[in-house]
Amino acid sequence: MLKDILTNKKGLFETGVHTELRGQINRNRRVTLLNGDVMGNVRSEQSGVSARVYRGGVYGFSSMAEYTDEAAEMVLKAATENAAFMDKHAGIGKPALPGMALKQLPTQEDIRDCEQKIYVDFARGIDAYIAKNCPKLVSRAVVSMEDSMEKLIVTSDAATGHILAPRSYVYVELTAMTDAGNPVVLYVPLGGKGTFDKNFSDPAAYYGQIDKLYERLMQKREGVYAEAGEKIVVLDGMMTGMLSHEAVGHTVEADLVLGGSVAAHNLNKRVASELVTLSDFAHTAFGAECPLPVYIDDEGTEAKDVTLIRDGILTGYMNSRESAQHFGMEAAGNARAWSFSDEPLIRMRNTSIHPGKDKLEDMIASVDDGYYLIDSNNGQADTTGEFMFGVTMGYEIKNGKLGKALLDTTISGVAFEMLKTVDMVGDEICWVSSGMCGKKQPMPVGMGGPALRCKVKIGGR
Amino acid sequence: MDKLNKLAQEILAEAKTQGADYAQCSVIEEEKKEFNVDGGRFSLMRTLFNRTVVITVLKDQRKGTVSINRFDSDAVKTAVKDAIAAAESGQPDDAWQFEDKPVETEYTEGAPECDTDKLFVRTKELLETIREKHPTIMMEQMITVHTSWKIVYMTSNNVIYRSTSGNYHFDLMYSAHEGEKGTSFFGSGVTLKDLDKPVIECGFIERDLASIEQQLEPKALEGKFTGTVVMAPYALSGVVLSTIMFNFVSDMCLINGTSIWKDKLGEQVADPRLTISFEPYSDDVVVRDRHTGEGYPTENFDLIKDGRLNSFCLSQYGANKTGQKRSGNSGNNIRIKAGEKTLEEIIAGIDKGLLVMRFSGGEPAASGEFSGVAKNSFYIENGKIAYALTETMISGNAAEMLMNIKEISKDTLNDGEVSVPYIAFEGVTISGK
Repeated sequence: MLKDILTNKKGLFETGVHTELRGQINRNRRVTLLNGDVMGNVRSEQSGVSARVYRGGVYGFSSMAEYTDEAAEMVLKAATENAAFMDKHAGIGKPALPGMALKQLPTQEDIRDCEQKIYVDFARGIDAYIAKNCPKLVSRAVVSMEDSMEKLIVTSDAATGHILAPRSYVYVELTAMTDAGNPVVLYVPLGGKGTFDKNFSDPAAYYGQIDKLYERLMQKREGVYAEAGEKIVVLDGMMTGMLSHEAVGHTVEADLVLGGSVAAHNLNKRVASELVTLSDFAHTAFGAECPLPVYIDDEGTEAKDVTLIRDGILTGYMNSRESAQHFGMEAAGNARAWSFSDEPLIRMRNTSIHPGKDKLEDMIASVDDGYYLIDSNNGQADTTGEFMFGVTMGYEIKNGKLGKALLDTTISGVAFEMLKTVDMVGDEICWVSSGMCGKKQPMPVGMGGPALRCKVKIGGR
Repeated sequence: MDKLNKLAQEILAEAKTQGADYAQCSVIEEEKKEFNVDGGRFSLMRTLFNRTVVITVLKDQRKGTVSINRFDSDAVKTAVKDAIAAAESGQPDDAWQFEDKPVETEYTEGAPECDTDKLFVRTKELLETIREKHPTIMMEQMITVHTSWKIVYMTSNNVIYRSTSGNYHFDLMYSAHEGEKGTSFFGSGVTLKDLDKPVIECGFIERDLASIEQQLEPKALEGKFTGTVVMAPYALSGVVLSTIMFNFVSDMCLINGTSIWKDKLGEQVADPRLTISFEPYSDDVVVRDRHTGEGYPTENFDLIKDGRLNSFCLSQYGANKTGQKRSGNSGNNIRIKAGEKTLEEIIAGIDKGLLVMRFSGGEPAASGEFSGVAKNSFYIENGKIAYALTETMISGNAAEMLMNIKEISKDTLNDGEVSVPYIAFEGVTISGK
């Protein structure tokens, strides 16, 4: 645990100038097995202290890979000098940021640092099960990992807090060959928030998910290419989560709005069918804790939910304190940094479309000729809202029934047009949290949603 | 440098004391000076002081690696202990092998010293020049940074590399806007060893900005057809080159046997005009990797020569696992041999096709199949750029495309790290609305 050596540095903060001081440790433990061989066996740790100072509409920042009194004082001095340099040469004379609630948020539970053997043994347990029970594979990879963040945040004019955020996963990737000799791959992440020992005590608890993955891979071996063109599809919850995050979420991050995203011209306008409501949740959603809860951000803002789309109307942006002042909105705790050496950026937390009333079976039964798209390996979106997702698992839908599995394909569309075609919304939420959002810095995020029936463009032959 | 050298010696001694059969470490001190522009205006100046220690040990042919960013002796001793514990928890693998011929070398390259004032002046000048010459461009984000490193890489086999290096890097992300019309974003970047000339003249920055400005009135393409696709350097890297690297020629895909090129060494895999090499020792590379992660000195090598697969891109571990040869480097500083025609001449020879500036697609399948959106792209008709495109997808197979090259341009992007031309491929599926 980080010892608080920062609070007593508040006396060094310049009067009337917004200042943040942050101590941080990022830990990463990772074991990679490829066909049973330990290909990677790595423990890494990064720690240090940083300071950020706001003056005249510009920031100065500095960090040092050392968590000591001297380092804290040094980065505070360097960040103050950098802010002064920027204010002198590029300042725009903006006033100080409005103050926030000065409170101390409670510390969460401690992070237990598991020894490497626990990661290796668990991965081996999973690997042995696959080797024994999945005979038609040409390759198998199992990765066990944990990444955790601990932050101590002290600010001049907002809340202070001590954050502990561990998450741990086992990734399983299975590869088989089609009869034509082409490899097909499927992958599943297991786990979520919490330390490795809490999430993974018994490999047998995950055998069911591995069996399902293998069954789908065998179907994909016999899979067909999707037919290129615009189609009616049912997106499963994971795909909806990707859509919520990539195609909509990024365009309503206030820094990207200021950079000219499509959302700049659409506030309070219809951007989706009235069945669509989308929120970026801080720590609690639909009566349960979010996959990756956030209670305070790195600017000292206590985290609250942000409703981005309500009943199809674009209602808000995600903000930092500075952008909230610009847009006359409320900062809700979206400014987060990945490493001690990173400055806070506007990031999503747990972004999800709200559930509707439809049953998945009815949604599939309602499609004559389309696709049911289940899983994705990546997604990218543009500030215009144009998006592209890789689809790694899906099925044809013919006359309301599932048909053959699909080979890898992609879907694309323009978010604010595509969301207007949503005419059915599932009643169950699916969350994922194993990935990293990329935007100058990586950041763990949760994304989720119900199944959606809509029209998208699908790639194919 | 003396401090880093002493620390490296202490780490190796500690690893030996704790029972490692082999140990290597990298001890790195890094400093960054960075300016950020967001939404068209200066937003931030950063100064970062970082340190990294990476320790890899081998014990009974079992490997463990630990990385920390502290130099104090307690942290280093714990890191060595953790690396040994990690190794002990693994299993023996005879394929682990490291350079055993002693080497001792020290070098300086790039721009180790930062001229902060000049970096600011060049950044401001670039921003102002773009505002003046390309008024519709909105600089969504620009990061200009100088990084300097002091690195000691040392192994228990007396392999020692000491380097002092640095570079300037400019990274621009922008789109064009006019009223409520806006284009897709695009990114340009360049790595430099000095700031002697205005940055807009470096790499493809000027050319890219002008091209994005031409995309404010995009049209959707109707229907689906097979045509010629000219891939600009970034698009080429995003689809074809990444597929070759990750799916066809590197450790993972060759060890697990999924590479469709696993038995193709020496065979024709591409058009005879295609030569792809990895050349860290090319004159225009600003900072080169002089050794691999296993301690072997690097050298330039040809991956594909005149269309034939000349080498895989394997580490010594990968080579031992597959019975193939280790490659000359880890796949750094790609060079594609330029052709003889300009981009304009290539476009003039295309009846119906696309010029793709950027590709946004799913991860290509192991077979080389890919599909995705042609971003920041133009429709080519009757030898001319007809109009900018929206919502157009392309799909194909990277391995097949290499055999269907129509032209390679003589214009090449040289950004201080890579040298890549435009390549026109025939027979790519293009689908519009």
